[in-house]
Amino acid sequence: MYSSTTHPTGVAGLSAQEAVDVLVIGSGGAGLRAAIEAHDQGASTLLLSNGAVGKSGATMIAGADITLDGDGAAKIGLAGNESDSKESFFHDIIIQGYYLNNQKLVEAYVRDAPVRTKEMIDWGMKYLWDGKRAILTEGTELNSVLFEQVKKRGITIKNDLYVTDLLTQGKSAVGVVGLDINSGMLQTTRAKAVVIATGGWQRAYSFTSAPGGLTGALHAAAYRAGADLLNMEMVTFCPNVVLWPPALRGDIFPYILIEMFGDLLEKHGRPFLRDEYDPSIYRIASTTEWNKLIFSLAATKVVLRGDGSPRGGTYYSIKNVPLNIVEEAEKIYPGWKWLRTDFSNLMDWLKEGNAVEVAPAAHYMEGGIMVDESASTTLKGLYAAGECSGGLFGANRVASAITQILVQGAIAGKSATDYSKRAKVQELEKRQLKRIESHLTKPLTRQGSIRAVDLKKKVRRIADENLWVIRNGAGLKKAIAELESIIANEVPRISIQTQARAYNKEWIDAIEVESLTQILLASARSALFRTESRGVHNRSDYPHTDNGRWLREVVVRQVNGKMSLSTRPITITKFKPPRVRFGFEEGIIRAVKELGE
Amino acid sequence: MKMETRKMKVTVARFNPAMDSSPHYQTYEVPLEPRMTVMDVLDYIYENLDPSIAYYSHASCHRRVCARCNVTVNGKAGLSCHTEVTGDITIDPLPRLKVIRDLVVEGL
Repeated sequence: MYSSTTHPTGVAGLSAQEAVDVLVIGSGGAGLRAAIEAHDQGASTLLLSNGAVGKSGATMIAGADITLDGDGAAKIGLAGNESDSKESFFHDIIIQGYYLNNQKLVEAYVRDAPVRTKEMIDWGMKYLWDGKRAILTEGTELNSVLFEQVKKRGITIKNDLYVTDLLTQGKSAVGVVGLDINSGMLQTTRAKAVVIATGGWQRAYSFTSAPGGLTGALHAAAYRAGADLLNMEMVTFCPNVVLWPPALRGDIFPYILIEMFGDLLEKHGRPFLRDEYDPSIYRIASTTEWNKLIFSLAATKVVLRGDGSPRGGTYYSIKNVPLNIVEEAEKIYPGWKWLRTDFSNLMDWLKEGNAVEVAPAAHYMEGGIMVDESASTTLKGLYAAGECSGGLFGANRVASAITQILVQGAIAGKSATDYSKRAKVQELEKRQLKRIESHLTKPLTRQGSIRAVDLKKKVRRIADENLWVIRNGAGLKKAIAELESIIANEVPRISIQTQARAYNKEWIDAIEVESLTQILLASARSALFRTESRGVHNRSDYPHTDNGRWLREVVVRQVNGKMSLSTRPITITKFKPPRVRFGFEEGIIRAVKELGE
Repeated sequence: MKMETRKMKVTVARFNPAMDSSPHYQTYEVPLEPRMTVMDVLDYIYENLDPSIAYYSHASCHRRVCARCNVTVNGKAGLSCHTEVTGDITIDPLPRLKVIRDLVVEGL
């Protein structure tokens, strides 16, 4: 089955006896930056993408901004606010993260943000500086600037390789197995060190603002290979994402618009945000990035009580906004175009007095593969960078995930290279390869009744119903039982009808549904385990944030083939969180006072 | 009173270079939903009528940025994630590119 039994490495451009020093999986910003760093540190580097490098990953569709402290900005030549400081930025990120952040990761983030920003500017990134803490740019711009640097260095890339499994020896990562999507052949690649940079697992939900590739396949592979996962209950939802029409589905433009103007309406046309919250909360929601959390909660409550739109969302309207105010805003988005998307039709529709259906969408994962400040996972030779890693943003991300990919990508590339200089190329264990090959190919020949695409829908419905913005113990228990039963009874019966090997969509779905189910189980069990509400994790049966009991991170690991959960205390360097207990609104008000907004 | 759903004819170029000497067309009947996209149509065929159909979607951005879902619709190039459908259509791969299978091509 392996395309190259005579060439065990199998990947184009690599001969049989060679293995790469550093293998980077994922070609969004974190993967691109990791590959650049590994190359510059002297490692032979291979960059793999499950789509095409430069045309896949979440970075290209990001808003996007880079955040750094004002003083750091001044030091790299931007007209920054020198009274701002790294310490102040550090403090704010932890307040925003509800104290759960790994403070060592936050220190690395604020420390390296200016140098990574400067480098992007030197590489020609177009940007606008807001004079405070944000550099505004575009995902496509970030992506192309980084990809140019990868091309300039002649880094080997391999497109359309869907990595499904990590190969291990003892407790070290030594390579990967993947499906070459276009040929339908399995390939193995040996590496001294592996960097995972594959983004989140938003595609476990039906409604998301993330692109197709974000399936958590490598979270699941890392977990199966013995790496720990962290804080998997933490999922940020972006409110006001287009639910309908289909051509704009998943777009976050109305979320950007509502920062300027407009209302969210329930089905009777009544604006609900003002009624849902205390006026001070409403003001915070409409003027700060806390709006993701606050709007998502409010909209979910409206839908749950039966006052939502027919497709399960709410409505965004600009009917009460005078037209000249709308026209003024058009100066920011000339012709109502943003990135490569044209919103003029949508704006015309809104200006005529109509409302567009919107809903919270799975948007960003704070949890992920556990890493330390050197981007090392708990498996030797395995590193993780960007959204696929967990811990930096604690229970709520407000600061930029673009800064995260740049900072952590570079750290992971450096750490992986350092490790590769000490490590030896390992022979691959034949038994392990056989087991993985047999597992991956079984659905092709199995006579079964279960189709992966149906199972995928079923699994996503479980996530939509029980792992959405508001969770509760009963729903989570139900989700866990269903997911466990699917893993035991249905995944092993998936069968593929399509005979053709080239771009076999059923096969891709079969691979994806298995990892999605594993990751959702990890998330559901973590969410049940955390018997409190904190940040984006909201439990209706445990509505308070409890610093007395829950200044702890939830860890998921595989022990003797079974999923096992535990906690570890939060990682503190300088900021000792108060031992307090507070409700949701009180928490927001507390935080905003602390932040001085 | 239930409205009769309008059906449309969707003709798709099928080609497996490993097996076929030349491409052929296959026609499906798909219920037409308001403002559905070519991607929605292909998803419908894949999920309900013919799982063997190949079109690029697993890692596409669904947001008009990556352009890897580009196909030819009624003779005109368009992104399947964003091209809306109002009646019968013929879907071909982009011209002049090597076909991997059906609508999936090399070089996008």
